[in-house]
Amino acid sequence: MAAWDLSVTVEDLGLDAPPVTISVASDLHIGGVILKLVEKTQIKQDWSDHALWWEQKQRWLLRTAWTLEKYGIHADAKLVFMPQHKPLRLGLPNGITLRLRVCFSNPVFQTVMGICRMLNIRHPEELSLLRPIEEKKKKKDKNLAPEIYDLTEVPLSSVSRPCLYNGMPAHFADSPEMEAIYKMLSVSQPPPAPEVIAKQYRPASVVDKAHINGRWLDSSRCLLQQGIQESDKLWLRFKYYATYDMDSKYDAVRLTQLYEQARWAILLEDIDCTEEEMMLFGALQYHISKVAQSEPQIMSNNPAMDDLDSALQSLEVKMEGEGSSASDLLENMTAPELTDYLKIFRPKRLTLKGYKQYWFKFQDTSISYFKSKEESIGEPIQMINLKGCEVAPDVNVAAQKFLIRLLIPAPEGMNEVYLRCENEQQYAQWMAGCRLGSKGKTLADSSFQSEIQSIRSFLAMQKTNSSSSSANASEESINTHSLVSPRYHKKYKPKQLTPRILDAYQNVAQLSLTDALMRFLQIWQALPDFGLAYVVVRFKGSRKDEVLGIAPNRLIRIDLSVGDVVKTWRYNNMKQWNVNWDIRQMAIEFEGNVNIAFSCVTADCKIVHEFIGGYIFMSTRSREKSETLNEELFHKLTGGHEAL
Amino acid sequence: MDDIDAMFSAMLGEMDLLTQVTYQPLFAYILFYILILFLLLYKSLHELEGNDLDALMADLMADLNATEEKLATEIEYFPPPRSSNVSTPVPSAASSLAPPPPSGAKPTTEEIEAQMKADKIKLALEKLKEAKVKKLVVKVLMNDGSSKTLMVDERQNVREVLDNMFEKSHCDCNVNWSICETNPELQLERAFEDHENLVDPLSAWTRDSENKVLFQERPEKYEVFKNPQNFYLWKKDKTTLRDMKDKDKELLIQENFCGTSIIVPDLEGVLHLREDGKKSWKQRLFQLRASGIYYVPKGKTKSSRDLVCFVQFDNVNVYYGKDFKSKYKAPTDFCFVLKHPQIQKESQYIKYLCCDDIWTMNLWVTGIRIAKYGASLYENFKTAEIKASNSVWTNRSTPSSSNQSTPSPTVKGSMTSPPPPPPLAEVLPPPPPDPVLPPPPMAAKTASKPTPPKRNQPNNFPPPPLDMDNLPPPPPPPPTDDHLEAPPDFLPPPPPATGFNSLPPPPPSFGGVDHSLPPPPPDPVSLPPPPPDPVFVASGAPPPPPPPPPPPPAAPVATLRPAVRTSGSLKKVPPAPPKRTAPTQGGGGGGDFMSELMLAMRKKHADQ
Repeated sequence: MAAWDLSVTVEDLGLDAPPVTISVASDLHIGGVILKLVEKTQIKQDWSDHALWWEQKQRWLLRTAWTLEKYGIHADAKLVFMPQHKPLRLGLPNGITLRLRVCFSNPVFQTVMGICRMLNIRHPEELSLLRPIEEKKKKKDKNLAPEIYDLTEVPLSSVSRPCLYNGMPAHFADSPEMEAIYKMLSVSQPPPAPEVIAKQYRPASVVDKAHINGRWLDSSRCLLQQGIQESDKLWLRFKYYATYDMDSKYDAVRLTQLYEQARWAILLEDIDCTEEEMMLFGALQYHISKVAQSEPQIMSNNPAMDDLDSALQSLEVKMEGEGSSASDLLENMTAPELTDYLKIFRPKRLTLKGYKQYWFKFQDTSISYFKSKEESIGEPIQMINLKGCEVAPDVNVAAQKFLIRLLIPAPEGMNEVYLRCENEQQYAQWMAGCRLGSKGKTLADSSFQSEIQSIRSFLAMQKTNSSSSSANASEESINTHSLVSPRYHKKYKPKQLTPRILDAYQNVAQLSLTDALMRFLQIWQALPDFGLAYVVVRFKGSRKDEVLGIAPNRLIRIDLSVGDVVKTWRYNNMKQWNVNWDIRQMAIEFEGNVNIAFSCVTADCKIVHEFIGGYIFMSTRSREKSETLNEELFHKLTGGHEAL
Repeated sequence: MDDIDAMFSAMLGEMDLLTQVTYQPLFAYILFYILILFLLLYKSLHELEGNDLDALMADLMADLNATEEKLATEIEYFPPPRSSNVSTPVPSAASSLAPPPPSGAKPTTEEIEAQMKADKIKLALEKLKEAKVKKLVVKVLMNDGSSKTLMVDERQNVREVLDNMFEKSHCDCNVNWSICETNPELQLERAFEDHENLVDPLSAWTRDSENKVLFQERPEKYEVFKNPQNFYLWKKDKTTLRDMKDKDKELLIQENFCGTSIIVPDLEGVLHLREDGKKSWKQRLFQLRASGIYYVPKGKTKSSRDLVCFVQFDNVNVYYGKDFKSKYKAPTDFCFVLKHPQIQKESQYIKYLCCDDIWTMNLWVTGIRIAKYGASLYENFKTAEIKASNSVWTNRSTPSSSNQSTPSPTVKGSMTSPPPPPPLAEVLPPPPPDPVLPPPPMAAKTASKPTPPKRNQPNNFPPPPLDMDNLPPPPPPPPTDDHLEAPPDFLPPPPPATGFNSLPPPPPSFGGVDHSLPPPPPDPVSLPPPPPDPVFVASGAPPPPPPPPPPPPAAPVATLRPAVRTSGSLKKVPPAPPKRTAPTQGGGGGGDFMSELMLAMRKKHADQ
């Protein structure tokens, strides 16, 4: 067979170097071409990761046994010889940017698997890569560019599950720097400064949100085919909101990153919630950042401790119930009792009297008050049982106002009672007591001290920096505006926000880090719009743009003019879904002869197709218990080749 | 009267047996004490209306408290093993053990000792109080107008109570059976959830409450798990919903109840809201979310951020309103209400909502329950289902025993022939004696629970001679030993054995002692015929078993009786605050009590 010249650009020789020309015959296989090429370059190095890229056809020549003829390569082909793994800047859900080596030659699905393996994230099928939103930054900000953490030195491994060392993959245990990076991945970030939130891009409408979904990469094609070059920036995000088999023991990074993604979705109003929900999210964020920063290791790595605690607690309860007096006696001797002069006010009583001072005694779950300390032996003027009552704070540190508002249930309705405390110390104790009492717990409860502590640290947020005393600096620097979306920055001052968040905080203050993270995710997942990915589409026969919402279990059709859900189709009624690539139209058939067809406006129809197929794939996981990922099935469901 | 005697002798027989079994002679005294109590109450039940009974109970309670106090002092006189340690460092021991003594002056050692003792007593009594598990005797109305009475302790949840009811009623045990609460004053009703504690909500009833507890089938209870599509796909057309395949139903349950978070049905619609203070109903667009009910303010969009919170579920329960059309001029009778469980009367804190049809109302009430109870609801359903499938045959085997449960009131006339012994089993709350019962007196310091029985014993034992004389000699232990529960038994009131299904007289609560009540007596059938007792016969006490005159189903009496002091939460029980002065009251308390008992009995005799 006749020999001809093939010129190949070898990246390792430099960008300006002329292509290397080798003499080949059409029956030479790719392996032979590579061999010749390496010999010609005279460079001794590890070439094992290198492969040939055919620029005109935008494809890798990965089958080394195939001949040039089989690939259809002729002398005019522009080939590039380069490594398959190249560095990429990867933005994580928590906002930090990593630089790491990823595969440019395999389908994105596998690239994501490799990334997740390196970062110790299980179930990589739930994540994907998307092109970031262009940051419109002024030149001045350049030097403020976020730090990039380099992971390119990490050796590439093909082991499906990295071996763990100290609870982290071995490659993170190499050096203190690497360990610090792992900590950044697995521990949630402190609340961002309010300005940072305000500066970020926020989708203003459903259509804006739809545009973001046009940025997902195609899972069945490789990075290079999708125009991603070395050192480009991509985002790694959870794409399919069907988190499966979450286990805080193995999923430190996964759980943290999912939380971060959810937190940002809330802060940037990517998903809508009510004011009450926002306050609860704020309280949880505050709590999570506080616990994560104080003792992340103990809290996150020792679920056994929680078990032990709860076991002890239940034992205590049991003993109490059975009346074993050994523990009772002990408990009673040490049972704290609060007594002090406080001021009381009953707004509902038609008296003009204001706050009146009495001697108060907190015992069990009740507050009694007496005329004076001396008379506290006798019958109290009144005894208020706090069980089942509502407790609300009314505090203004600057004005030295420490009010506990109690709403005490009675057969006739709720009685309002305000207790006024003199100072922070007193307030923290009595407030903690009231909260425990409202839950039917006594002061002897183990959570009493931590409750006091959490109230005090929250009060510290209200204080001005000058009058700092007990709480440490990091807690004081938290601005409540960091915990809510910019909408509420305008609506409330931080001081107005603090009591609202504090109010919500009392229900979550005792959660462990993992529980708090899970609670945050649960509330997020319970939002009505959770998991909806929007795409602007044009239904067949319709003249206007509408929005298709793709959820983990259904598709919804939203009328853009009204914003209402017009129609819902569930996947379990779906018989088949196809793409007509010629006219780029999706067609779906549901049971009962329901057929819909639409073209996609803001995203490629492959993206929509993959979304739907991806969710079908996610739903198949639970049934087969096998750990290995059925990649073939994923591509079959998402590829859209059936229509070809 | 013979039956009482039969019972009495049975009891005595048991006492014998028990003393043997437990090596604890004291226990017999306790039994005896209880028996006396029971007899008194039992007699009075037939003559007294609820109020009188209450008064009587209050008396008894007061007495019990008094005796407890006295006993406490007596306990101090037992040679305590630890007393030598305690007595030397008197002041320190006192200060550490006792609640803060108000006066610091300690002039004489006697005074100090006295005070210390008093403090210890107070402490011991407080321990006692804590150790007591709160119990209620609850009359549960059945569908047919009859009623069953059962003892519920505060550790029991509704599921356990339902199981008790299943055994008592021999119903089909399907998942729809519910324990419900009605409030006639507010015209509300609600089925308790199976995981809920029953004592708590019942404790919120007022003293004069007309509220009732019902045992009935409520198909809406778990409808959401049988036809989830009606709740989660309620917007779909009716035929689609009706023709839903089982596979798809299962999937819906999976999706909404088995994920990381419980999904609340996506409800949105116009409801009528009763305006505060006014008599008008106003329409509003409401939305149900996991975090609460919201409404869309006038002129705003339905966007989440504009919603105004109407109510959150932490502190309220959802109730069905009955006949609100006439009571509150509601647009329809399909109303539901949200209120704090403790609110029992009209109040501005009650939120009234009205739906256009029953379907919408069930949608909302169920949705609210899902939002409030979350995963527990599904857990409850699964447990109920298992229960229902298990009971298919277990109930087959014992249908006949239920015949006993409705003793005819005609027994009254046939006094000559010994009527069947009263079904004591139902009356005596089963909580078996505490295993720590036997320890010597001083053990009270380390194990407070056993103390109450012991305390009662020394005082109560010396019974008035008259009574004693009339007592028949204890019959030999009943042959059916296996019916006797072994005294040490940790279980909370266990459901009675099937043999005891006869309808009990409405048992009043047994005050402070009920947690130490003896196990149920042996199967009545196996009791030896009691020796006739002239005194009791003469008393003409009404026949034993019948429940209070078969209540007209329309106006049953509220039968809830808070049984045990719970540190001041229940007004009806005299608190008997153990003061430091307690010891001075001491002396002969038990005699007082017993003589009072006698007086009461004699009075009854005289009345007849």
